[in-house]
Amino acid sequence: MEAFDRWWAAIQDRSVAGTLNFWESIYKEIYLNFISDARYMNYLKGLRVTLIVSALAALFGLALGILLALGRLSEARIGRFRYLSWIAGKYINIIRGTPMLLQLLIINFGIFGSVKMDKIFIGVITCGLNSAAYVAEIIRGGIQSVDKGQVEAGRSLGLSPGMTMRLIVFPQALKAALPSMCNEFITLIKETSILAYIALTELTKAADYIRSRTYSPFMPYIISGLMYLAVVTILTKGIAALERRLRQSDTGAGAR
Amino acid sequence: MIRVRALAKSFGGLNVLRGIDQHIAPREKVVVIGPSGSGKSTFLRCLNLLETPTSGSITLDGEEITSPKCDVNRVRRKMGMVFQQFNLFPHYTVLGNITLAPVRLGRAAKSSARDEALALLDRVGLADKADAYPNQLSGGQKQRVAIVRALAMKPEVMLFDEPTSALDPEMVGEVLAVMIELAREGMTMVVVTHEMGFAREVADRVLFMDEGLIVEEGAPRALLENPAHPRTKDFLSKVL
Repeated sequence: MEAFDRWWAAIQDRSVAGTLNFWESIYKEIYLNFISDARYMNYLKGLRVTLIVSALAALFGLALGILLALGRLSEARIGRFRYLSWIAGKYINIIRGTPMLLQLLIINFGIFGSVKMDKIFIGVITCGLNSAAYVAEIIRGGIQSVDKGQVEAGRSLGLSPGMTMRLIVFPQALKAALPSMCNEFITLIKETSILAYIALTELTKAADYIRSRTYSPFMPYIISGLMYLAVVTILTKGIAALERRLRQSDTGAGAR
Repeated sequence: MIRVRALAKSFGGLNVLRGIDQHIAPREKVVVIGPSGSGKSTFLRCLNLLETPTSGSITLDGEEITSPKCDVNRVRRKMGMVFQQFNLFPHYTVLGNITLAPVRLGRAAKSSARDEALALLDRVGLADKADAYPNQLSGGQKQRVAIVRALAMKPEVMLFDEPTSALDPEMVGEVLAVMIELAREGMTMVVVTHEMGFAREVADRVLFMDEGLIVEEGAPRALLENPAHPRTKDFLSKVL
């Protein structure tokens, strides 16, 4: 609140001096932090990095998460898959039990500390590895929510366990998991902001850079916040539309 | 066709099947009756290995399917199964449900599988439902689709696990009619059911099971009207 008071006082000072009213000062702030020196380009470049890292990390996390979920559910007790379930369980526990910032620092300074590595790559790896643990649990829940009779029906037709999973169980599991997956993607997009910590110029870092130039303590963050909000809103609406489409097969008068 | 020897199955410490010996001949229709918990569903599910027998053996067309070397998926293609809860795939249309296995397992090309599915649907009176989703169908319609789905794999044997038990009474008839027609065509069938009328009309042989054993078996008229064993008498007095 103290910062706000100072900002407010500053605006009023200027208002008195230059007969500026409140809205004019807002306009000046936006001009200073968004338009002058083509600063909008800083945000847009940052937004681009955020979107690239989020998208790649989501894909990586989804792929790894599915493998982890299948690993956790595998009942193999013999041969080379014996430890699959155990390994997947430990991985999920460790990733979910430690802060993502810590994981980022270990990957950035530890694992890739002595090699020159693209920050975007490090971002994708960190966010993807982290997201995979959460995705795995979401997918596992989805798979377990599918009625056992579905597996029996598939197997009784002569389909292999793999085909039954791929053609019958998995599509239904994914549909059941979609709302939680949406949640996870939203979290992922916002969490990429911690990459500012390793000086990757994504959206948050871009806003911070502008703050260091203009000394405006609010406007850069508000602008970047609105951009995050826009991206998340679009994603939410897109997934809601997808859910509606998938629900087609549920409509109809027949009782279950 | 199917020969079962000393089949036993236990879940934990519970002995559900305690030594079943049976021979099911080609084109034979066998109806299994008995109180709930008698092991009749488990017996049926052992036949296509949905339950792995604890001991004993099952041979199909001379091949021992309980042997670890046996390819279970290939064996199951010869045995259609119809479930109490239908178990249609909700994310596929009726046509998709029926053609899924034949197409994916390379048994038929997409177009011929489709034609065969439509012909089968027509025979059970559901040709107009080909593009509907399962949840748009009534229980009786679902079960008829489930029967067609199993038939699409051209099985040698059809296993029915209480196919009418989850249906509203007015829909039982339409499903039984399809099963009776199938029996007339000469399909080998093993049916677990509580429909004594169906047993009387269709069965070549009725098995009465209790406590994991086949207590009594015989021609339907003899067994249903003149049961020899006191437990059969007791059961029939309650259901008839």
